Amino acid sequence: MIIKANVKEALKSLITAKQRTILALIGIVIGIGSVIGMVSIGTIVQNEALKQFRDMGIDIVSITKDYERQGSDEGFNIDHIYGLPGYSSLIKKVAPYIVSSTQYSYMGQDLYIELMGVDESFFDLNKLYIREGRLLSDLDRNRFFCVIGAEAASILRKAGIKDILGRQFLFGERIYTVVGILKSLPEGGGMRPSGINRGAITHITTAMRAFTTNDITTFMARVDTQDSKAAKAVIENYFSKKAGGLRVRVRTAEELIAQMQKQMQLFTLLLGAIGSIALIVGGIGVMNVMLISVTERRKEIGIRRALGAQRTDIEAQFIIESVTLCFVGGIIGIILGIIISYVFSHFSKWDFLISQSAIILGFCVATAVGVFFGYYPARSASRLDPAAALRE
Amino acid sequence: MLHLIDIRKSYQVGPTAVDVLKGISLTVEKGELLSIIGPSGSGKSTLMNILGLLEQPSAGTYSVEETRITYDDDRTLSSLRNKMIGFVFQQYNLLPRLTAVDNVGLPLIYRGISEKEISERSMEYIKKVEMQERFHHKPTELSGGQQQRIAIARALVGNPSLILADEPTGALDTHTGQEIMNLFRRLNEEEGITIVVITHDPKIAAQCRRKVELRDGIITG
Ligand SMILES: Nc1ncnc2c1ncn2[C@@H]1O[C@H](COP(=O)(O)OP(=O)(O)O)[C@@H](O)[C@H]1O
Ligand SMILES: [Mg+2]
Repeated sequence: MIIKANVKEALKSLITAKQRTILALIGIVIGIGSVIGMVSIGTIVQNEALKQFRDMGIDIVSITKDYERQGSDEGFNIDHIYGLPGYSSLIKKVAPYIVSSTQYSYMGQDLYIELMGVDESFFDLNKLYIREGRLLSDLDRNRFFCVIGAEAASILRKAGIKDILGRQFLFGERIYTVVGILKSLPEGGGMRPSGINRGAITHITTAMRAFTTNDITTFMARVDTQDSKAAKAVIENYFSKKAGGLRVRVRTAEELIAQMQKQMQLFTLLLGAIGSIALIVGGIGVMNVMLISVTERRKEIGIRRALGAQRTDIEAQFIIESVTLCFVGGIIGIILGIIISYVFSHFSKWDFLISQSAIILGFCVATAVGVFFGYYPARSASRLDPAAALRE
Repeated sequence: MLHLIDIRKSYQVGPTAVDVLKGISLTVEKGELLSIIGPSGSGKSTLMNILGLLEQPSAGTYSVEETRITYDDDRTLSSLRNKMIGFVFQQYNLLPRLTAVDNVGLPLIYRGISEKEISERSMEYIKKVEMQERFHHKPTELSGGQQQRIAIARALVGNPSLILADEPTGALDTHTGQEIMNLFRRLNEEEGITIVVITHDPKIAAQCRRKVELRDGIITG
């Protein structure tokens, strides 16, 4: 009863919307919003990392030629790549690929469908599955067959092309026959080459003959899960010996996740800093609002004391009022934080999710700020001399 | 019921101490209707604040129902004010944002009584002061006499044995003031509530069974 009455009182003073109340609340909203955004993004990244594990496994690495550290701009020698599993038992499987720079155009209209060249193990390492038709295999060597991604298929359909399977398309100067359509892939696989969804794939041997630039700059490998560091060393060693001091960069799933977390850390650090400053500013604003409220209601405090309110009752009344104010700011802040994390995950192409614990945390922080900054005004209210307050 | 022995009160104003009460000894018996009369500034309100446990005397002893008040525990003092004493003020002192029912119910919210029971009891006491037409009115929507009736209902709702009224008719016209005095006399006669009325109006004081005169901080008659 007494709590309900106090909450009502606080909401009334908020609705009367004195400017200082609004200003104090802006601080709380930004503060709580940042905290919620921070925690939500943390959860989203965690989820993304887990997805990475589930989706591709942590035993996949991607190897790129380190152009920065050597002059030559030639790609990998494909035979060197295929020699790698024989060199060390830590390397189970390799999958080189090339991306062409030409794009498919149809009736004068650029459709932006990229063509890649891959081998059979590429489908396995990247967990690519067929939806219609068939996958490519190493039997498709040097043949002008291709499979296309799910999104590419729907782009073609939108452009008015029906019966995609078996149809022939001109990429660059060659005609390819579509033998299959891939299942749709989740966005942002991390390790997986981007653009498979909206691209077309032919066999790597075909690609090396047909593409104008046929440098292999990257390949993927499945390594012994137990020891990805050792596998990394083996790969670096191999290329340095075999290809005359060639330097490579090996990216493991662990590194990828670490990199994601670093990206998150930077952002959460920023949000954390903004959040704590805003919370302090907002909290001081709330304290100011409460101090003014106490001064304006000295008479009321005197009356309540005369009617039997204990010091602790008065203290509770003003703390509840301050917490209510912060709660209102907190609710708006939670909505703001969810929007922040949505925008962040949207641009990072990560799955958006609402973190329940973040919302609970938001309410806890709001309560804590309300109690902390409401304590001093509430205490001074409870210490008022009732006789003096009544004389006014 | 109330027993004051040589009560003194002085206030420190800057470097000088102002003696407001200069040795008051007074006994108020159960069931009395007592008036304390004196000119403005004679210390009446200060005396009422001491009687009502809102202020601690600088010296002297004050006992309520044979128990000496020690002023060291806010809980005890608050609880006595809440359960034993009802205050009525010259300026009514209703909370402007609350309706009549909510104002009357205020003393009860500090007792942990259910909301339903509080509003039932508040309405009962509003009926007792004949204000049942005005349950949901705010103080500003009521006349002075009506506000004072609501304030009396608030003083009575906790079923106190003592009512302390500081110039309860001071802001009212003669006719309305008389109605309020009639209400006090009825409460005193019919329910045996001890009532102390502070006033500077001899006509009001004359209606009380006992009259104490205060002048410049001492009792003169
Ligand atoms: N807190 C205080 N500090 C200083 N002087 C006070 C204080 N309270 C009351 N007084 C003084 O005490 C005197 C008596 O006041 P009061 O008890 O209100 O008289 P009355 O109610 O008879 O008019 C007045 O002169 C007043 O100025
Ligand atoms: Mg007075």
